[in-house]
Amino acid sequence: MRAPRSVLKQQFLKKWMMGLQVFGSAKQSMSILERKKAIKLSADIALASTRAGRTCWSRTIIADASKDDDGKVLVQHLLSPESERLKKASTGLAMENKRVRCKKILKRSCCIKRVRKGASKVVLAKSISKRIVKRRTQVLKSLVPGGEFMDDISLIEETLDYMVSLRAQVDVMRRSLAKATEVVNGK
Amino acid sequence: MINRALLPAGGGENMLHCTDMTVLERQRARIKWQQEQQQQFQLQQQEISYFTELADVFHQAGVHEGGLSEVVTRSVKPDPGLVDNGWNNDHVVGYGVGLPYNNGLGFELNYGAISRTSSCPPEAVAAVAEATVKGSESVVSDMISSGAGRESSKKRKVDKIQNNSKVVAEEDTRDKRIKGCAEQGESKITEKNNNKNSRNNNTNKNNNSNKENSDETSKDNSKVSEVQKPDYIHVRARRGQATDSHSLAERVRREKISERMKYLQDLVPGCDKITGKAGMLDEIINYVQSLQRQVEFLSMKLAAANPRLDFNVDNLFAKEAFPACSINFPTIGMSSDMTNPAYLQFNPAQQQLVACCGLDMGIDPPDMALKRTTSAPVSIPETFLDSSCFTQTHPPPTWDADLQNLYNVAFDQGRQTSFQTQPFTGDVKLSCLFLSALY
Repeated sequence: MRAPRSVLKQQFLKKWMMGLQVFGSAKQSMSILERKKAIKLSADIALASTRAGRTCWSRTIIADASKDDDGKVLVQHLLSPESERLKKASTGLAMENKRVRCKKILKRSCCIKRVRKGASKVVLAKSISKRIVKRRTQVLKSLVPGGEFMDDISLIEETLDYMVSLRAQVDVMRRSLAKATEVVNGK
Repeated sequence: MINRALLPAGGGENMLHCTDMTVLERQRARIKWQQEQQQQFQLQQQEISYFTELADVFHQAGVHEGGLSEVVTRSVKPDPGLVDNGWNNDHVVGYGVGLPYNNGLGFELNYGAISRTSSCPPEAVAAVAEATVKGSESVVSDMISSGAGRESSKKRKVDKIQNNSKVVAEEDTRDKRIKGCAEQGESKITEKNNNKNSRNNNTNKNNNSNKENSDETSKDNSKVSEVQKPDYIHVRARRGQATDSHSLAERVRREKISERMKYLQDLVPGCDKITGKAGMLDEIINYVQSLQRQVEFLSMKLAAANPRLDFNVDNLFAKEAFPACSINFPTIGMSSDMTNPAYLQFNPAQQQLVACCGLDMGIDPPDMALKRTTSAPVSIPETFLDSSCFTQTHPPPTWDADLQNLYNVAFDQGRQTSFQTQPFTGDVKLSCLFLSALY
């Protein structure tokens, strides 16, 4: 089980470093927060590129990142071999998401909630729990990038994959931080 | 395969003790027992190998990737002895590429989304269903092209099944055929999955309606199983349950969701005892939030530790583990603060930090702001604020940059000054923060 996890991590690390080099060469002095943004952005894009094209969240991240200049440079740099296809997929995704979102808004506006009178306790409890679940799925959708446009089933799958990738990302970043502080302390 | 040979024997023994049951019921019980065993075994295997394949999957994608709008799904296992009795509703989709695994169990996971390997029929079913939504033609063409490839493997498995099926010959098949259709309205690959299918009177009707469930009457408790074919998953109504197509589809959907929830349960730490969607969702949300916050925090720390964005990453994955990573964090944070005094400038107008940091970590911003503003001298280099928050659910501490937030808030008057921070420790309770501020 170790091997594929570290494969993922190594891939991520490599791409992350590539992305950071783009920044490193570009600007000389950056404020701490700019650096932080750069680090995080390159980490996110690197993470998304490890799953490039195959998961909705990765496509969403790439699509969002491509909207501004920094991100675009990074995306091109990191994903140059597959960038063409990905860009098309990302733009297509954006359009489709808008369509889905509009439909959902329309549906919601037309739907009339019927109030049940004299509902039994069991039914009431069920409806309450349903509401809770629905609210929490909405929160989850807001957390997972690109989650608002998916149905429940694919949402859960995306969450699975996203969680695994996030864990790998955290792990790699933590280790590199430890390394960096070691180096600094050693000096 | 060995397991399966053993199972009937073992199961049969138990069952034979009850002389009250009729032969039919006994067999049914035995099959259920079998099924459970297999399921447990399968699940274990899947849990173990889930992550192995999660990454593998993506490396082997090359063959089957078309211009699909795909959703990555879980690890995929090759289609083992097609659903030994065509029962289980779970199918792990197999590649036509010939992965090395073959656990010989007939359980597969049913995916609701398209996976890359559209060669796998259950996936393909879902893929087909999805195709109507997403309109990707290549799914269909892939399916068709790879359908041929799978023929041979299926025939092999059908033979195996035939051998085994004699044991359960009296049982009806539990087929689940969801009639999906490709957008281009074809892919009428209707293979006979098991010999049991032949015993059924079901014929695969090709129509272009999504998710039309066939309404078989069943005498026995039938569960749902998936057929190894691209188009149809017939759902059989359970005994004593409504048989209209809506509730059947609902049930299928619910089962899919609960199955995926189980995987999430394995992934999220500390979720063994939580049953029910609401609780699980809560845990999942907390976990994802904490991971995201950790990323934020770590990137901030990295920015603080490394003024020039150069990282030396040799030996990053050397086998000196970082076992007490969580424990070392405070000390590391402190030391980095001490040794990087002069490099860090502070940009006060940082709305995004404020926005992205955590919600409620127990510090009152106005108070802190007051403290800062009153006691802050001018133009002293500032080091990075450290804050760690130990949540009860997760062993590694959750870091967030809330205090950084506060700094921002405090110096938001547009001052470009930088301040040196000094270490002092607050008490570390469950939701306590580690401060280091030097004036």
